[in-house]
Amino acid sequence: MKRIGVLMLSLALVLSAGLAYADVHITLLNTKGEIQAQLEDAAKAFSAENPGITLDIQPTPTGSSPFQILSSVYASGNAPTLYMGDTNDMIQFADKFSDLKNEKWIKDSSDNFEQVTTASGSIVGFPFTVEGYGMIYNKAVLAKAGVDPSKIHTTKDLEAAFKKVQATGAGALVIAPMDWSLGAHFLGIAYSLTAKDQAGLNKLVADFKAGKVDVSKNKAFSGLLDTFDVMKKYNVRKADALAVTYDECPALIGPDKVGFYFQGNWTWPQISGFATDQKGFGFIPVPISNNPADFGNSGIPVGVTKYIALDKKQNSAAQQAAGKKFLEWLVYSKTGQDAVVNKCNIIPAFNNVALEPKDPLAISIRQYVAKKQTLFWINMPAPDHWSKVGASMQKYLVDKIDRAGLYAEIQDYWKNVK
Amino acid sequence: MRTDKRRWEQTKNALLFMGPSLLIFSTVMVLPFLFGILLSFTDWNGLSATFSFIGFGNYSEVFHDKVFWSSFVLTLKYVLCTVTLTNIIAFSLAYLLTGNLRGRNFLKAGFFTPNLIGGIILGFVWQFVFSRVLTTMGKSLGWSLFATSWLSDPDKAFWAMVIVTVWQYSGYMMVIYIAGLMSIPKELIEAAEIEGASSFTRVRKIVLPFLVPSIIVCVFLTVQRGFMVYDINLALTSGGPFRSTALISMNVYQTAFLSQRYGPGQAEAFFLFLVVAAISLTQVYLGKKQEIEL
Repeated sequence: MKRIGVLMLSLALVLSAGLAYADVHITLLNTKGEIQAQLEDAAKAFSAENPGITLDIQPTPTGSSPFQILSSVYASGNAPTLYMGDTNDMIQFADKFSDLKNEKWIKDSSDNFEQVTTASGSIVGFPFTVEGYGMIYNKAVLAKAGVDPSKIHTTKDLEAAFKKVQATGAGALVIAPMDWSLGAHFLGIAYSLTAKDQAGLNKLVADFKAGKVDVSKNKAFSGLLDTFDVMKKYNVRKADALAVTYDECPALIGPDKVGFYFQGNWTWPQISGFATDQKGFGFIPVPISNNPADFGNSGIPVGVTKYIALDKKQNSAAQQAAGKKFLEWLVYSKTGQDAVVNKCNIIPAFNNVALEPKDPLAISIRQYVAKKQTLFWINMPAPDHWSKVGASMQKYLVDKIDRAGLYAEIQDYWKNVK
Repeated sequence: MRTDKRRWEQTKNALLFMGPSLLIFSTVMVLPFLFGILLSFTDWNGLSATFSFIGFGNYSEVFHDKVFWSSFVLTLKYVLCTVTLTNIIAFSLAYLLTGNLRGRNFLKAGFFTPNLIGGIILGFVWQFVFSRVLTTMGKSLGWSLFATSWLSDPDKAFWAMVIVTVWQYSGYMMVIYIAGLMSIPKELIEAAEIEGASSFTRVRKIVLPFLVPSIIVCVFLTVQRGFMVYDINLALTSGGPFRSTALISMNVYQTAFLSQRYGPGQAEAFFLFLVVAAISLTQVYLGKKQEIEL
């Protein structure tokens, strides 16, 4: 009996000693599949500089919704320490995330973007990636056609540019027909111009749901769709506009086959693979009227598209502290900054990061940010808006419905959304 | 006393053999299924800690949902087309391959292969075929049928899904039909031949009646797969163009996870279960009546 007692005691000692010296093990659930390898390298560098902490980067399958992934990890009790998600995820899961408002990096984050603030006043998201979108142009094609992109301020200017590009034998533009591109991003411009900020968006959505908005009377929507009509007319793939895939478009704009392409800076890796000139691209705003001074004709939507949140329900205090350390490391350490800007090709949301991004689209976005010519990035508080209204935009793209039909479908969507 | 002991012995044996699978079956099939039915009566959003019961609210919402019904009708159409085509083609292939055809083993393997490829990969391969290969052929040969991608037109995209499904499952059903054909007594067919029955009469009067068990199995499998299909739908059209080809499973998934409306999603899923169960059981019941005992 005594011997067993001694055995137990020594076993307990060994165990507790083991625990005391054990590494703090934390995880980051990565929902940005394209930078998985880069993040794994960054995690190794972080562990090397912070002995005693190991960081695992968990990949997520592309195509599954972050909402679904996060609900299942929480239900199974396997919540990661750090979670990467968009504004809506942050707000929906806010009661499970730590308040980050006393962190050092709050002061250094750029004031072009709003923080994710919950009803109780806590800040739950670390702004990880800044992205922007607009009309991407190919410098070489435009130079050959004699078009100066900085002089395009109106729908008419854009049409004139399309004509000149077409006259050189190249295609004017290609429209990527994915529902997320048309529904969330393109139409998002009209929502952004109407709402201007988060409070405005909340009010706009409430008005839409109450049936108080007549889209046909909204200048931002009609102006934007007038531009869309012009884009439809000059689309190189207009004969079979819906058959265009996301992978095909970079193969057109990259090697100087078309002059313009509506998309965001996230497509740079694909364009880069085809580009004849690695520096020869930039953004111009999508014009929404024929008056150059109108709001929206000089800015592009730029926003924080991925935040990182820190779990407080299923991770220990030591793990949470280590998680905070990692976030700080991303902003203030040389290796962390290098990993974000140079390795992951991410535009940081922090003023103290001086590293210049390498790709021309990121540089173009930074210029718009510096000039404060950014539009509010829409994160629609309705989760299926991009898919359902995106489908309506696809119908409009191939003339399955006309303008009145599109307006009716948009208003119908809001009337029926729960 | 003795019988009690024997009964215990029997139960013990039964538990020993059935217990593990029973446990797994109930934890991963029965419980989630019952829990799912329970959730369809709540307003749970898939995430929050609390939820309340709202009776048949979700069901009445589903029954008033036009998108759900159009998706349901499309699925019925899809099931009808795939079940008919798959079984006709599978039976014809099986009948030809049990005859004296050269290289029939090679052909059997060839027809069966598509079934070994996962639906997702298959969908992507065929997406490439429909939107690139056929359009290029159509343009260079001047065939207007293939000039534009089938996947960008709602009707043609539907037929594209039917073609891919039939192509995938015909080989599998063919194997079942071959097994059924092999078990038909040769002497019956020979006797019919001597009596002067034409080949059409032989098929109708002897082969088909003997094949009823195989037909039941094949129709059951194709009906059930047709209703449940998701992978091909996702990889080939992902519901497009403009959500015109979203079959019922995809609609369920999107309601629950995309629109984040868990309750109505569960209600749709349970309704789908009832429909599939009713159709399959009726079909098996009617089929059994046709069977002949030897």
